[in-house]
Parts: sequence; structure tokens; C-alpha cells
Amino acid sequence: MIRARFLTLLLSLLVAGCTARKGAGPSVSADSVRRNDSALAAPGAVPVERVLSYEERQGSALYMKYCAVCHGKEGKGDGFNAFNLDPRPRDLSDSSSMAALSDAQILQTIGGGGRSVNKSPLMPSYAWTIDDRQIRYVAAYIRTFSAGE
Amino acid sequence: MKPLRLTFAIVAVLFLVVLAVSPLKDYLREWKHDQIEYNRLVAGLPQRVKPVDIGIRQVWVQKLDRVDRCVTCHLGVKEPALHAAPEPFRTHPRIYHDVDDLGCTFCHEGQGSATEYRESIGKVKYWDRPILPRAYLEASCAKCHREKDVPQAPILNLGRRLIRESNCVGCHKLEGNEKQWTPSLDGIGEKVNRAWLVNWLKHPRAFAPSTRMPNFLLTDEEAGTLADFLMSFRTFPREAALEPVPPDLASAGADRKAKLVELGATRFREARCISCHPINGKGGYVAPELGKIASKVSAQWLYNYIKQPKRLQPGVVMPRYRFKDEDLAGVVAYMESEFVDYDMEQPPPHTPDPGFYEKGLALFKKYSCGGCHALAGMGRAEETGPELTGIGAKRLYEIDFGRSGIEETLPAYLKTKLLTPHAFGGSMKMPQFEFREDEAEAIAVALLGKTDDKIPPDLIVPDAPPGTFAPQGDFGKLVDDLACLGCHVMNGRGRLIGTDLSLEASQARRAWIEGYFKVPYSLRPVLTERMPNLYLSDAEIKTLVDYMETSFISDSLDHTVSADPAAAAIGRGLFYERYGCQSCHQVGGKGGYVGPPLDRAGTRLTAGWIFHWLKNPQGLKPGTIEPNNNLSDAEADALTAYLLTLK
Repeated sequence: MIRARFLTLLLSLLVAGCTARKGAGPSVSADSVRRNDSALAAPGAVPVERVLSYEERQGSALYMKYCAVCHGKEGKGDGFNAFNLDPRPRDLSDSSSMAALSDAQILQTIGGGGRSVNKSPLMPSYAWTIDDRQIRYVAAYIRTFSAGE
Repeated sequence: MKPLRLTFAIVAVLFLVVLAVSPLKDYLREWKHDQIEYNRLVAGLPQRVKPVDIGIRQVWVQKLDRVDRCVTCHLGVKEPALHAAPEPFRTHPRIYHDVDDLGCTFCHEGQGSATEYRESIGKVKYWDRPILPRAYLEASCAKCHREKDVPQAPILNLGRRLIRESNCVGCHKLEGNEKQWTPSLDGIGEKVNRAWLVNWLKHPRAFAPSTRMPNFLLTDEEAGTLADFLMSFRTFPREAALEPVPPDLASAGADRKAKLVELGATRFREARCISCHPINGKGGYVAPELGKIASKVSAQWLYNYIKQPKRLQPGVVMPRYRFKDEDLAGVVAYMESEFVDYDMEQPPPHTPDPGFYEKGLALFKKYSCGGCHALAGMGRAEETGPELTGIGAKRLYEIDFGRSGIEETLPAYLKTKLLTPHAFGGSMKMPQFEFREDEAEAIAVALLGKTDDKIPPDLIVPDAPPGTFAPQGDFGKLVDDLACLGCHVMNGRGRLIGTDLSLEASQARRAWIEGYFKVPYSLRPVLTERMPNLYLSDAEIKTLVDYMETSFISDSLDHTVSADPAAAAIGRGLFYERYGCQSCHQVGGKGGYVGPPLDRAGTRLTAGWIFHWLKNPQGLKPGTIEPNNNLSDAEADALTAYLLTLK
């Protein structure tokens, strides 16, 4: 009797020790579950083409406020004020010309204006209007216009 | 003996296995795997990133009494080189808060002390605050940020605005929100017709898509009874009586009528009614839709209302236009002929139920109409819905998800409740607001931020105290009569649709302000909300401008520049060649139209204003998109001198 009980106890301990690990191990399948954002996404959320990162979303709000009037809502250089400008604002969705620009150049243009990069003074400088971090947000967002479809 | 030995052998082996379980389990810890993986990842990076020692890591935030072990696996949160690494190693987005300062779960929720993924996200039994889905993350900003416009939290700001505008506090108690002005129902029987009222009660948005009034999903019978009940209230507040319409309007022949309509159309345009009122969805957004107004209100009510809005509807934010009697008759004739709903459904003929009053009153109370609308001296009712303060900390077991079949989380519950209030049961009283999905999410975000967390006082960013500016005397009476604060802000009070007038006399020249009252023209013709022509008398204009010249002025903005043409020439160069001001401003028909045209800047603006504006635009008008160009005093002087020559 005692022996049987002892065995049962041992067995149950063993089983408990094993089951506790079940489903949480560092196996590939468990990883794929945990990396899956859809488990955290809002119920009924419609998947969008490309989810903007936090910085890009912040940049998007700033872009719409300060930049879109000339550069256009989709960065095509066709904002409502673009047609009053000569030269026209740059097309930010042109991937070949944007790829040629380094991040530092983009930050410099936004912060120091066109004149600081030897371009038209029609592009104003924003370094004293928004802070460095915000300029980075905008730069990150601008990159999304030319990111491949 | 033998079986005993065998048993002993088996037991010994089993015991060994059991003992081995513990070190094995420890070796296989999820986070250890992640840390090894992390070290492998950073070893392969071109940049030098320090590998981590294997072990539990945590952030202890004393002031919030939180210990977050999320950083055990989220190892790259502060490592910029890992901005494109796979989760859980990716750099945290650059925000204004530091993980050492606030920890993780204060914003993200979840179980900070857990060391296993499933437990840390808090989707386990008895953990009431699971990790917030990304769409609802801004809820946490609300814990400390009580100000109206939280920087970088557009969803939270939208949610708070919708809560305010939808007047949720009509029925629910919610800290930090006050009941909005809503029209009183006194005299409604003299104002509208029953057919309209029945249709309105059944589906308000069918008549006015922009209305704040929600849909109570009334049955035909309920709508009819409630309409009969409301139509029996024929006394206006403070016993105001309707004047008869002028005989000209009442009994005009066809010719005369056509003339009146034509005159009214002109006055209607000049008065810029559409600055505030939408007409079939086009126009302003702060006042009710006018597109079908003639099918709603009687001509007599309309005439009396436009003549003296506050007499019939105390507290309404509508200016009293100084129309001549003939002009007013014209405006009413025009609106009566133009804004008719030809498709209005006529309810079937009926005889009122003899008990309509009792039944209607019961319905009025059941749906808490009195939460928003005052009626017959009852004032506005107390809140009848559940209190919403602290709803962000609501425990899941307190929520009845019914048969909705939705995911059982608080965000999902709130969103569903806002979209389809009756999803959790049929007898709920909450009306349908017809929010869009993103609007419902935004409101849920604002509500989720109403937690019961104890926030250290030094972290709280309070809202600006409400403005207390209350002009008195003749000026005060005019401000009230003309509802100036409906569109303008004065010393922190009012609604900013037009401009902030607190420094108006420092900004604009006296002659220009006087002229502007006579012929208001828009500096930015693309705007819908333009200053209306209120047809003020010279004496009234003088009262207004005199007050501005003594009160809406700041000596700190005084500045003089030399009238030397050479300075102006330098300024012109700066304007066109260096700062590219013509990108946004028109001068002489050339230039952009983002900012106002500067053609008559020298007539309109003072030297002090131009100078200080150029030096720091956001200092004078927070949020303006005019960039601060960091001008030197000499540059600003030269530009000011140039702009003053534009007359």
C-alpha cells in the first residue's frame, strides 16, 4: 500500500515537472507563435499593406502638418502649394533619387533648409521649429514613400 | 527480498530522474535561449554591441513601485544598432520617455515580474491587465497626461475630443469632463412639426449626418409616443413668446416673394452662415445642418430665432446678426424656399394615445433624454449610466460578455460596446452613436487611460486651467450677443476656430480692424470658416476696438524700425533670396498661398508684431506652421522694414 502510494507520488511529481514546460519551450513552433503579432492585434483589425512603425507614424503626423502642403500627401511633390514654386518641390517617392540621398543629407535639408545643401531657398529650415528627434521622425517617414511596393 | 530490491532500484532511478528535472528545466528556460540567441546576433553585427551575461535582468522603478523583467529578453531596447533586428531584440522606438525612468509595464501593461512569455503578456488567469494591443497603447499616455492635446498621441486626443463632443457625460460620470451645451426642448412644440420629430427620433443621422444626437433605436410606437409627449411642450424658456412674422413675409405675392428670396440669398451669403452651419454636408462643423431646415422648423420660429437667438435658446453660441427687418424676412424666405426635404417620410395618420403624456414621460426618463436636454424646468438630469472614471482598471470578471462572441479583453469590450451597444444584451439603454471603427477605438483608448493607478504627482502633466476671462460692460454684452467666443479665443477663453484675439491690438492696426468689421474678407480664401458680416453699427465697432486697444495689447511687443529704404531693400533680399518667404506668401500676385498674402501687410500689421512674429512665430501663435528661421535682430529688422513698405 505504502509502496504504491509512494510510486504514485513520484510519478505525479515527474508528470508535473514535465507538463509545466509544455507549450512554452524554446522550440521553433512556440517561437513562431510568440512572434506573431496578430495574437496582439486588435480584434477585427483589417490588415494593412504596411504597418508604419511608431517613428514613422509620428513622422507622418509632422509631415502632414508641415510638409504636405508642398510635397504632397503621398510625397509626390504635388501638394496644393507646389504649383506656385519654381523649382518644384522634390518628388519624395522617386526611389532612385531618394536612394542617392544619405540619411544625413535628408536630416540636413529638413533642419537647415534648401539653402544649407546648396538647393533652392524655397525649402525653409525647420531646425528651430521642431526638435532633432522630430526631424528624425519626419526623415524616417519620408523614406517610406520610396520604399518598394 | 527480490521484489523489494527491484522496487528500490526503480525508485532510485526515478528519483534520479526527478532530481534531474529541476536543473534541466532551469537549463531550458525560455529567456536563456533568447539571451544566447541575442549574443549570437550581436556577435554577427558589424557594429560593436556588448553581449549580455546570462541571467534575469530587470528594471526597478521605485517611484511607480514596479519591477519589470521584460528586458531579460528585450535586450536591444536601448541599442540603436538593433533598429532592424527581429523581436524581441529590436530597439525601442525613440520616444520622450526612457525605459529606466518609467519601466515597461507602466505603458504597455502585462505582468512585469513574469519570466515566461505567456505570463509576461498577462494573458493568463487572474491577471487583469494584459499587455495593451498596439492600437490601444496611447491609453497609457493618459495616465499622466491630462492636458487637452497630448503631444504624439493623436489617437488619444481624438478619443478625448469625441468623448467631449458626444457628451458622454450626459449619462455617465467621467472625471475631467463637463456636460456640453445642448439645446433645451422647451417650446419644441412651437418649433418643429410632428412628422419631422418622429423621423428624427427614429434616425437622427438620416436628417443631419453631422449631428451629435445618437440613435436610440426606438420602435415606431415609442417614437410616436415620445413625439406626442414632446410636441405638448409649447412654452419657451423664460416665457418668451414668438412674435408674428412681418406681413411682408407672411402674405407676399409671388413677385414680392421672389424678390425677398433673392435679397435673402445675398444676405445669407454675406452673413457667412456656412462658416458654422453645414449645408448638405458642406461648410462648417460647429453648428447644426441647415440643408433641410425648412422641413424641420416653422418659418415663424426661424424668424424669431435669427432675430434673437438667445431669447428662444438661452446659452446658444450663435451671433445676433444686426439684420434689418426686410433683410431678415428675406433670409427666412430664402431658407424656407431653398432648404426643403422633399423626401421626408410622412408618418401614418394617428390619434394620440390618451395616456401619451405618462408614457412619453416614462420613455423620456428611460432613455435619459434629460441627461442632455433640459425640459420644462426639470433642468438636466443626473447621470444614469455607469460611472466611467476608473473603467480602464475594470476587472474582466466584472464584465458580462454575453453572447457577443468577441475576444474577452477590455479593449475589445469597449470597442464593441461603442460600435454596437446592444451587442451584450437586448435591454441596454445606451444609444447607437454610429462611430466609425477608428473612432470607437480612439474612444476606447481614452477610456482605457482612466485607470486607478496611483500616479506620483510630479509625473502628472495637468491640463491648463479653464479660462476665467469674463469681459464686462458694453464690450462684455457685445461679446455675449455676438457669440465672439464661439470662434475666437480671448485670454484663454473661447473656441479657436478663427483667431486668438488676446493680442489683436498689438498685431493689427486700428484702422484695419475697423474696416474689417465693415467688410470682413478672408486672409486665406481657402478656409471655410470665415468671419461673417454681422452688420455692426459704427458705435458698436468703436466699443469693440476701444476695448481691444486697451486690453488686447502687450507692451512687450512694441518695436520700431527705421524707415530707411536701404533697410527695406536688404529685407527684400532676405525675403526672396535667403529665406524664400514667397514659397508660402503672395506678394503682388506671385508666391504660394499657405500663409496669408502680404500685399497689404504694412496697412494691416504693426511693426512690433511683424518683428516678434519673425523672431518666434510659435511664441505668438503656438502650433503655427510658419517655421522659426532663427533670425538675428538685424535680419528681422530689415524684413520688418520691407514688409511695412507693402501697403
